[in-house]
Amino acid sequence: MNLTRRGFTTALAGGIAAPAVIRTAFAQGATVKIGMVVPMTGAAAESGSFAQTGAKIALEAVNKAGGVLGKPLELIFEDDQTTNPGAVLAFSKLASQPDIVAFIGSIRSTQMHAMAPDMLKIGKPVGFGGTDPNLTKLGNPWLFRFRPNDSYSGKVIAQFGAKELGKKKWAIVHSTDAFGTAGGKALADALPDNGATLALDQGYANQSQDFTPVVLAVRQSGADILGTYFTFETDLGIFARQLRQLGVNIPWVGSPSIVNISALKLAGPALYNTYGVADYAEDSSEASKAFGKAYRDVRKVAPDNQSSWTFDAVTCLAMAMNKAGSTEPEKVRQAMIAIRGHKGAEGEYNFDKNGDGLHGYNIVKNDKGDIKFDKRIDFTPNLG
Amino acid sequence: MSTTETSAAGDVRPRLRWGVPAFVLLVLAAMVLAVAVPKTGYILNISLQATTYAIAVLGLTIVLGLCGQINLAQAAFFGLGAYAVGIGQTEYGLNFWVCLPIGTSMAAGFGALLGASTLRLGGHYLAMVTISFQQIVTLVLINWIPVTKGPDGVRAIPRPGFLADGSSYLAFCIAMLAGLGFLVWRLRDTKLGRAMRAVRDNELAAGVAGIDVYRTKVTAFALSAILGGIGGGLFAGGFAYVSPDQFSFAESVVFLTMVLLGGVASPIGAVIGTGLLILIPEWLRFLKSIPGLYLAIYGAAVILIVLFMPDGIWGFLRGQFDRFKRAVLPGRKAATLALSGGGEGTETVMEVRGLSKHFGGLKAVDEVDLTIKRGGVHALIGPNGSGKTTTLNVLSGLYRATAGTIKLNGQDVTDLPPHARTKAGLGRTFQNIRLWRSMTALENVMVGAERPGSTVGNDATAAMARARAALAFVDLEERADEVVANFSYGHQRAVEIARALAGDPVLLLLDEPGAGLNSSEKVELRNLLKRISARGLTILIIDHDMTLVSEVAQQITVLNFGRRIADGYSADVLKHPDVIAAYLGTTPDVPA
Amino acid sequence: MDLVLQLLFTGIGIGSVYALVALGFVLIFRATNVVNFAQGEFSMVAAFLMVVFSLKIGLPYWIAFVLALVCMACLGAVFNLAVYYPLRHRTYLPVIISTIGASIFMANTTLAIHGPEPEVLSGWFDTPGFMLGPVYLDNQYVLIIVVTALLVALQYWFFEHTLLGKKLQATSQDKEMASLLGIPVAVMIMITFVYSAVIGGIAGILVAPVLFVSIGMGATIALKAFAATIIGGFGDVTGAIIGGLALGVIETFGAAYISVPYKDGFAFLVLIAFLIFRPQGIFGERVAEKA
Repeated sequence: MNLTRRGFTTALAGGIAAPAVIRTAFAQGATVKIGMVVPMTGAAAESGSFAQTGAKIALEAVNKAGGVLGKPLELIFEDDQTTNPGAVLAFSKLASQPDIVAFIGSIRSTQMHAMAPDMLKIGKPVGFGGTDPNLTKLGNPWLFRFRPNDSYSGKVIAQFGAKELGKKKWAIVHSTDAFGTAGGKALADALPDNGATLALDQGYANQSQDFTPVVLAVRQSGADILGTYFTFETDLGIFARQLRQLGVNIPWVGSPSIVNISALKLAGPALYNTYGVADYAEDSSEASKAFGKAYRDVRKVAPDNQSSWTFDAVTCLAMAMNKAGSTEPEKVRQAMIAIRGHKGAEGEYNFDKNGDGLHGYNIVKNDKGDIKFDKRIDFTPNLG
Repeated sequence: MSTTETSAAGDVRPRLRWGVPAFVLLVLAAMVLAVAVPKTGYILNISLQATTYAIAVLGLTIVLGLCGQINLAQAAFFGLGAYAVGIGQTEYGLNFWVCLPIGTSMAAGFGALLGASTLRLGGHYLAMVTISFQQIVTLVLINWIPVTKGPDGVRAIPRPGFLADGSSYLAFCIAMLAGLGFLVWRLRDTKLGRAMRAVRDNELAAGVAGIDVYRTKVTAFALSAILGGIGGGLFAGGFAYVSPDQFSFAESVVFLTMVLLGGVASPIGAVIGTGLLILIPEWLRFLKSIPGLYLAIYGAAVILIVLFMPDGIWGFLRGQFDRFKRAVLPGRKAATLALSGGGEGTETVMEVRGLSKHFGGLKAVDEVDLTIKRGGVHALIGPNGSGKTTTLNVLSGLYRATAGTIKLNGQDVTDLPPHARTKAGLGRTFQNIRLWRSMTALENVMVGAERPGSTVGNDATAAMARARAALAFVDLEERADEVVANFSYGHQRAVEIARALAGDPVLLLLDEPGAGLNSSEKVELRNLLKRISARGLTILIIDHDMTLVSEVAQQITVLNFGRRIADGYSADVLKHPDVIAAYLGTTPDVPA
Repeated sequence: MDLVLQLLFTGIGIGSVYALVALGFVLIFRATNVVNFAQGEFSMVAAFLMVVFSLKIGLPYWIAFVLALVCMACLGAVFNLAVYYPLRHRTYLPVIISTIGASIFMANTTLAIHGPEPEVLSGWFDTPGFMLGPVYLDNQYVLIIVVTALLVALQYWFFEHTLLGKKLQATSQDKEMASLLGIPVAVMIMITFVYSAVIGGIAGILVAPVLFVSIGMGATIALKAFAATIIGGFGDVTGAIIGGLALGVIETFGAAYISVPYKDGFAFLVLIAFLIFRPQGIFGERVAEKA
């Protein structure tokens, strides 16, 4: 027993010391580095792997085109473990590497809120995907959003449902997390402008095993159209199936997760004929198509917004650095703000003074499992 | 070393004298380092996280390490403290120094409430209650949006003005950790600390030794929650942002793993465990290319540590260290044990009338009367299953009487819980010895000396002196500082008697003290009983050994089938035909 | 009324899932007096094995099912040897921690091997369900309810009417006495873990078509199943079933008539109420320490 214990202790000590040794063994190369905070473990690990793929495709394209300022671009990934403290640690770890010149933050708004103070402190450009409108109103000049924010998604869903589909009596189902609550509120707020009314506003907790009460509430409410903000695809899948099983077949316009590739796989026919707002739609533009092709070559599945925004973020940051002729933060920031009419995978980027790059959404339709681009609704940004 | 023994305070921990200045120097050095050494934001964040988490883990050192109660809701208490500091400052414009105590008292309140559930629950059930509390707190944090801001969390949480800089805030947190760690370390050897350890090692014996078990547990939970709250409050200031997922059940598990990894027995273990569990996943980040791999290794490491380092890392290191430690012999002769025997009073010490105890339909004790006269040894005998031990358990309050009254020194104690009867002057021992096995002989006996209502009160020095005297009385003074788990059966029995004697009881109940002793130990026991009796202390003894009983007892009461069949002077009772019949009808049993 | 019936069916369906997982808890608790916090991961691992055998390799459903359960039996044995057996003489606390560690290990090893994508596993039926009057019955839930009932009946028969079952019972009641009677206690404990892993596996494979196969699927169900076990009373199979069903129904009705976001809260409130007012559960006996 003693021997085993001693062996174990030695192994433990060795295990603890090893990473430090390994790390110093790697020499620093002559590259331009972008640090990226991404979930590799935890509930969002799957979308994290998509995000990495998108960023890597952009990386390859940038390097094929000559890199940044004559040097190859390099991405440094850190795992945020799908938690807020994890994100803070991951970001501060990246921030402590002085040779990283820009960052890519999270697609999750709560994580962005958690990291925002540190991002302000480090003073280097950060591209991110969280869609809480407040994030670009924090007075933090370093944040650049590569997805349209939720005030747009709510407006687009309401306008499409009320004007295009002609449905006025809404049921809203949303997750009670930050994303779902903000989205549901934005949609509810946009209804009166479109002459529509709210019949049901129903929140649910993430990772529920059953949605029967929610579906029955939708059925009872007498709504003629459904708007949803779901965070996790497994929840969306269970909800969609039960919705159909219990005979609710009203038109349904959902937040971007409704056209996510895993949601399509999980829910199958239950999501046929639904509409989604999508910041990424493959057929919406030439740039989107090109990204779609590149992505399919790597992942063998259809791309979605989890990967398109990181693709755009890496592309834009590299472009801004090249245009600025420097990696100095302030110069890169000015070059970012000056981006006009850049055609990215997600849409056309025009950064306003808050750092919002996109100002509209695509409406897509699930046609027997294929996502068909329907139309794009854009709002005029204040580029002041 | 012998000089330190003359100082009473030095008796507890001889190393303390040098330890305190060294500790203060070390903390000051750490604080200077925190302020002076330039750090990246990463190092600062990691250090802040480790320091504030460690404070919460100290709470588990108390509730789990000292008191032996499981708490899987420490993250909830951590969250209460953090949200109070967050919401209080940003929403209500309160000062940091106002918010911190508010959060801490909220945590303390809920902690006490959770502790209150231990009245009826232990072990797995307690684990489940704490998990439930944890889940409910998380749900409320997420869904009570008007107050908690919901899943968005609270952002831009300020720090106090003069600590606005990250480095000075870290130094402040280190000072807090050091201060609280020191208090937790000292707690172990206070009256409360000993009471907690007694509850952990043997709850039943703790109650009988005069400890209010329930209140001790509630206190442990409240203290643990307070430390969780303080840690959380400091955490909120450190990270400027809090959200519900930071205080989830998973985090509670992390806290628990931290304390177990480091070692539950000591605050040093808490600090080691916290440091490692925050650093290990960071070190293992190089494994990140495969998602899940490093958490898998973390999980495996948890199992290996539990298997191979049962006392945690600090316990393991201490074990290596203790092999080289010399035993310290007490250099001073103990005083003579003073036994008042309850002082002057009525001639009757205990008056029992019509006492019954039924278990369902079984009348284990049926209408028994018992009068125990002051000064002398009274024996309660009877064949196996006659209700002797049940009677003793009813007398000491472990069972509730179905009917009848018990008066001790004229006071009606029928409805009092065990610890209150001990306060009233009852002392007892158990047939199957119930010592607190991880504590030293001296600590065991000190708890006895510190019983409520005893002459030593809260004076640790007096309690220790009295405990030494009691150990000397049973000839075990030289083994005072040894852990009782290593004692022979006879010596454990003697320590148990010393524990009861140290409380200076009015009446001493001995439950088969001769059981399991060899013949020479029995001779020692007989002499000990005679010496106790000679000091005027009244004894009620149960035993099967008729030689022992007839030699020491002046009065005998005989039970059979729960009823009293004889009572009176020894010689008369032993000749009583019913008694002879009862005994001849059964074979004398062998003590287990 | 339709609404109530529909909710009742759903509640019983989801309750059966809890009950099925709770069965595994109870078995291990009875044999070892230990709560296995990794029980939910047995279900998760089995569902992923099923995905591998049935979808990736393409074996016929039944062969894949049997193969997955054989793997689960081995996993149960390894689990016993690595996580429980070395700690059998220690208190319950290190064992709890050890099973928590095992749970983290199993979840993340699966993540490392398979990757994070959730999977769809088809059920045993081609159609998703049918209408019975006004109530929609999901085929898979019907199957879960039936299998749960069968397993309970089987378990009852096994414990009450077979020699092995009686030996297992004797072991759980008094290990020392059992070993004096010549019952190989170590073997009995081994059998218990193997059986629990298999039961957990069956539960996982059965719920997979309804809840999908994901890394996190075990943890949430296990926590509820654990709550169900306490409501029903530890150490009693019937109790676990009733507890599971009660929890499912309470949750569903609570969500429908009180609040959806607080749905998980109802389970824990009921649990706390039970723990305070009837800690022995619905069927359990009160255990008091003897002096």
